[in-house]
Amino acid sequence: MHEIKMNRKKDKGFESPRPFKLTHQVVCINNINFQRKSVIGFVELTIFPTVVNLNRIKLNSKQCRIYRVRVNDLEAPFIYNDPTLEVCHHESKQRNLNYFSSAYTAAVSAVDPDAGHGELVIKVPSELWKQGDEMNVLKVYIEFSLDQPKGGLHFVVPDVEGSMAERGAHVFSFGYQNSTRFWFPCVDSYSELCTWKLEFTVDASMVAVSCGDLVETVYTHDMRKKTFHYVLPIPTAASNISLSVGPFEILVDPYMHEVTHFCLPQLLPLLKHSMSYLHEIFEFYEEILTCRYPYSCFKTVFVDEAYVQVSSYASMSIFSTNLLHSALIIDQTPLTRQCLAQALAQQFFGCFISRMSWADEWVLKGISGYIYGLYLKKTFGVNQYRHWIKEELDKMVEYELKMGGVLLHPTFGGGKDKDNPTPHLHFSIKHPHTLSWKYYKMFQCKAHLVMRLIENRISMEFMLQVFNKLLSLASTASSQKYQSHMWSQMLVSTHSFLKSISNVSGKDIGPLIKQWVDQSAVVKFFGSFAFNRKRNVLELEIRQDYTSSGTQKYVGPIKVTVQELDGSFNHTLQIEENSLKHDIPCHSKSRRNKKKKIPLMNGEEVDMDLSAMDADSPLLWIRIDPDMSILRKVEFEQADFMWQYQLRSIFLRYERDVVAQEESILALEKFPTPASRLALTDILEQDQCFYKVRQGACFCLAKIANSMMSTWTGPPAMKSLFTRMFCCKSCPNIVKTNTFISFQSYFLQKTMPVAMAQLRDIQNLCPKDVLNFILDLIKYNDNRKNKFSDNYYRAELIDALTNSLTPAISISNEVRTVDNLNGDVRLILEEITRSLNMEKLLPSYRNTITVSCLRAIRMLQKNGHIPSDPSLFKSYAEYGHFVDVRVAALEAVVDYTRVDRSSVELQWLLNMVQNDPAHYVRHKILSMLGKNPPFTKAAESPLCNEALVDQLWKLMNSGTSHDWRLRCDAVNLYYTLFGLTRPSCLPLPELGLVLNLKEKKAVLNPTIKPEQGPDTTEMTGNTMGVHIPVMGFTSSLDEGLITMETVSSVSMSSGVAPPPQGLKRKLDSVVGPLGSSPPEPGQVLQEEDSSKKFKIRFNTMEEDEIDMESPHDSQAFIHHHLNILERPSTPGKEPPAVDQAVLSLPVTPLPSSFSKESTSSSKHSGHHHHHHEHKKKKKKKHKHKHKHKHESKDKERDSHAFSNSPASGRSVRSPSMSD
Amino acid sequence: MADPAVMAGGFSAIVGRSGCGKATSSPAENYQLARRRTLQVVVSSLLTECGFESAEKATVESLTEMIQSCFNVDTLPGYAKRSQRMVITAPPVTNAPVIPKALIAGQKRTHPSHIPSHFPEFPDPHTYIKTPTFREPVSDYQVVREKAASQRRDVERALTRFMAKTGETQSLFKDDVTAFPLIAERPSSIPYLSALLPSELELQTLEETDSSEQDDQTDSENTPVNNLNDDPGADKENSVLPAGGMVPLVKVSEENMIDNPYLRPVKKPKVRRKK
Repeated sequence: MHEIKMNRKKDKGFESPRPFKLTHQVVCINNINFQRKSVIGFVELTIFPTVVNLNRIKLNSKQCRIYRVRVNDLEAPFIYNDPTLEVCHHESKQRNLNYFSSAYTAAVSAVDPDAGHGELVIKVPSELWKQGDEMNVLKVYIEFSLDQPKGGLHFVVPDVEGSMAERGAHVFSFGYQNSTRFWFPCVDSYSELCTWKLEFTVDASMVAVSCGDLVETVYTHDMRKKTFHYVLPIPTAASNISLSVGPFEILVDPYMHEVTHFCLPQLLPLLKHSMSYLHEIFEFYEEILTCRYPYSCFKTVFVDEAYVQVSSYASMSIFSTNLLHSALIIDQTPLTRQCLAQALAQQFFGCFISRMSWADEWVLKGISGYIYGLYLKKTFGVNQYRHWIKEELDKMVEYELKMGGVLLHPTFGGGKDKDNPTPHLHFSIKHPHTLSWKYYKMFQCKAHLVMRLIENRISMEFMLQVFNKLLSLASTASSQKYQSHMWSQMLVSTHSFLKSISNVSGKDIGPLIKQWVDQSAVVKFFGSFAFNRKRNVLELEIRQDYTSSGTQKYVGPIKVTVQELDGSFNHTLQIEENSLKHDIPCHSKSRRNKKKKIPLMNGEEVDMDLSAMDADSPLLWIRIDPDMSILRKVEFEQADFMWQYQLRSIFLRYERDVVAQEESILALEKFPTPASRLALTDILEQDQCFYKVRQGACFCLAKIANSMMSTWTGPPAMKSLFTRMFCCKSCPNIVKTNTFISFQSYFLQKTMPVAMAQLRDIQNLCPKDVLNFILDLIKYNDNRKNKFSDNYYRAELIDALTNSLTPAISISNEVRTVDNLNGDVRLILEEITRSLNMEKLLPSYRNTITVSCLRAIRMLQKNGHIPSDPSLFKSYAEYGHFVDVRVAALEAVVDYTRVDRSSVELQWLLNMVQNDPAHYVRHKILSMLGKNPPFTKAAESPLCNEALVDQLWKLMNSGTSHDWRLRCDAVNLYYTLFGLTRPSCLPLPELGLVLNLKEKKAVLNPTIKPEQGPDTTEMTGNTMGVHIPVMGFTSSLDEGLITMETVSSVSMSSGVAPPPQGLKRKLDSVVGPLGSSPPEPGQVLQEEDSSKKFKIRFNTMEEDEIDMESPHDSQAFIHHHLNILERPSTPGKEPPAVDQAVLSLPVTPLPSSFSKESTSSSKHSGHHHHHHEHKKKKKKKHKHKHKHKHESKDKERDSHAFSNSPASGRSVRSPSMSD
Repeated sequence: MADPAVMAGGFSAIVGRSGCGKATSSPAENYQLARRRTLQVVVSSLLTECGFESAEKATVESLTEMIQSCFNVDTLPGYAKRSQRMVITAPPVTNAPVIPKALIAGQKRTHPSHIPSHFPEFPDPHTYIKTPTFREPVSDYQVVREKAASQRRDVERALTRFMAKTGETQSLFKDDVTAFPLIAERPSSIPYLSALLPSELELQTLEETDSSEQDDQTDSENTPVNNLNDDPGADKENSVLPAGGMVPLVKVSEENMIDNPYLRPVKKPKVRRKK
């Protein structure tokens, strides 16, 4: 059972959850059809059984249509069962997320390769059993095809004239975590390593890029295609195998000839420029890790419609083509380099070194994130690095405090739900595939922050030694021939990592790990202090909040830095259970008006104007945990020490640490005084100050200016500063022609107008001065002499215009017309129109200006200047626009949906989620809807209705089974809209259904069919779908329809849709020659009265026998599949719920087995049986227990839903191949 | 009353005869003849004025004699200003156009020996003198910028308006579709190309700004290690787009040495590979 495996933390070595060891796999894809978007090929797995009598082999496979399986040239029967296709079967009335989440987790667990499970179960032919203890090699050969894959492989086929190569058609593999099973059968686990032989036959005009070394390229006999032969001798997990095929332009890296870059046609110049830097990243990592790049080659491929910006696989990385840029572009350059650096870091940790289990993921993410951080520090400087760390820390802390903790190293004891380590979350963290995307991002964030904490503890030198040790062990192991214990050296586990640390450093980091790795949540400090004059002591009080969600108690050392008049002093305090107060003796006496330079932490000595300071105190400033060595949030209470704020401004000027500077800026917002103003202005003028601090100061100054509105003197904030810095000396109203030679100035120049536009006058309008100033900047912008593009600058000027907008003064609800357009707005609109139109003629890089214009137009609409109308955005959101534009337009539509409560737009968005070709866009829509929801569980909304519940439920239940990420997005949205419990907009569920059930069979196979009534039409659409029998099923089905009286014990208020008057219950108890199948053992569902939690346990296949010997009509089976291949399935024709069944056709031989075998494996009975095999004799007692405790409130709960196994896979036997 | 035939040829016959016949007569005679001829013209014109279409030669002679003998000069002004007088336009006199003599400045260059003399002469030496002339530039920086900015804006506005007028548009207002017209967006099959590739205009700018700097920068570009510093894109200056242009040169020269599997030729199928 997987639970046991997950708990393997302290085990010494790696124990495979499988009764065999995979040593080598061949993947051969013979045909890739871009027109039909289909793939045909075979795999061959070489496995060593590790048990006597290996009779079953479980592999992972989703979506693939499997034609035949052979084991050592003998036809082998197999079963295909993917419970994640449809998580909750039946038209369940449950609709609560608790139920779904547990069902989904159970479904994922049931096929979890880390627990030895899989969707595909192959029976080893009995001839091969009797080999005694000789561990003979088995070769498992599987022929498969994919037709219009919805996940795993993404086809991009532009709709233009020409051959596929001319059109730039390409295909690439993608996925979130281990998703290789989507495109070929494999053991889709990061811990099952083997060597690889990969062959791809593609059109002669295309290139197939895959993992490992390209050994040779050979033409086919007709010379129209060529076969790329790859060999990957380094043991690698299937999850790290990838492929991309397209008419790529090839660039051999001029500095490293073993590195090859690929991009789509016409982009070669961009590729050359963007990749000109890669070798330095290589050098950097190889140097710090004192280890050569582990693979003999490296390939970068840039593809369109990428799933994520960067994804790393063994010896290759797939990037979004949108990372490519020319030398003209400033802003994208560091971003692209960062992506390259991330990809390369993951090559070492993540691809080469893999993980033992999901619980060890944090080590890999942590190390790759940490060494990426070192790269940032080296390349972009310490300031940038510390800024990044602070940003990451703040982001993560914010998430944890809001959503509850992020747990790096989850352990699951005994499989009890009670032990769920994260009960605060609406999803399970047991599997990567059940995680919310945002959680996973925060997980990665926390992982690298924790690595940094470990570094703080044991020093960077030791840290790098540990990494080097892991790498050298792995490379030694990788060069070995297959020896199970050696290859497992390439897998990192939490245990082995910690052991390495203790061996190398000799230090015990146990408490640290316990605090941050084994435990979720962050620390929340509140600090306050007083200065005791008599004792010359600083009395510091540090309190913690460890009761709120996402917080934990911290016990241990904490660093406090006190800047006094005589210098800066570090103190390490011990945070203990009961000590809140800490006395820190001050070193210096206060002095009055004695001028003396003050030494700073970094050794500098500066003069300060201390006139604003309390004359009695020698304290200048105090910082708690300045090095961010605790994952914490510090709120420092200033209470009534007003002068503290003033000190802040002094502090800001003299403190050299960017993190402290940024914190001060934040604090200054609350203190609008001339002193703050002066301090901020000073910062803005300081060239040597980090540019991001200066950018922050811009916005802070705008806020202060607004607060000081009545006392503000002089021109609007920043105006004279901007004029002095960026305008012509002779004519101060005209900005200099652009050069952008100094990047610091460039970023400041971009930011200042945006911040200035936030200024407001007494009427709460943007001052006329400022608006004209911005309009002049746009007017006089001159980029002719610049060697850089000004697209980002111009886009930010449009953003500035957007920021200047304030709500229109409207008389009641008058319609917005051109005539009553305000004069200033007219000018703004004029600029926006012109810029947007110019984009059509001279598009800017990444269409930044269009993006800004769309945002501006939405803002104009929102503020009531122009009529609110989503049609413009909808047209820009359509497929065929640049992805950034689409996302900006979709954001506007999402916003419109919320503001105008438009169900039409919500439907339109959800449609796009289901149908858009670009996976990233689908994901983006759902996450934007989650961020800016049309309504929330807390508030009433006309949008919240039953149809929407059904639609979203269907989306997460079955509509997103091809994309883990999307499914989790849908779950998130459902959670945001409806919460964990049953959505309030649903009518109360019918009652008494079960009360009337006397016959056990009826309990097991209930199918509720509500009477069609005028009030229930909405739901019948969905309910009906389930009950529409699947092809060829009806004829053989003797339907026993029993109408049961439903007694409604609650008098329905007239407002709620009344429950069906009668329910037709369809029983399939007498179906087929085999009769109704008994429930499978091991599948136990019970409703625990006390906890109201559903326990779902799956029987593993070992427990039951599979009758694979019975005769089948395999010919018909093959025929059927060939038919499907000929003509792609047309899901649209089927009723909605059957849709899924049809969708699953490519992977399940469902219909044929129904029609041909005329078994009882109808959908109805299939729902309840996790593994439905027809066993003629097997009669096991029902283990389904229905304990219904009818509490007053829960009484009416439709209990039939409980009887459905939430994750019961629709399992269908495949016939054995007898020919 | 009159013979038209005589009248028609009247003047010319008289003038012609007198011109030819008495060419050699004395000045006094000439004067007499001229006077007579003038009188004849006068008589003829009087006759025409009075409505006669033609007159016999003898009649004209007699009338001429009569005028010659009893002509009172004093009444002439009165008569001349009579209302119904006939004005005879003088026959047009065309002068042959006077060709002005070209102003010769300086000494023309003589033909060198290899040019035959019938060839046209060299132009004046001043033809070869370069005289740069220029309009006084607007030196006021503000005006220049102002001009450039408004010119650009006008061009852009005109262009976008034109595009909007001639193509499909989208509108922000329902009441007035023509206000603030937006050129309708058009989905593209390969949207990343236009979004990523620099426009021709930008490339042009790039070439212009680089042509001057390229030479100085070539050295730094070929050094493999770009400086790493705190600035996110500081080394970009050294690797502008043509940097990409520089790399292939290196590549081409080394092409033979590079052993990259993707550059190797595709093999012919082997017979034994056949399944």
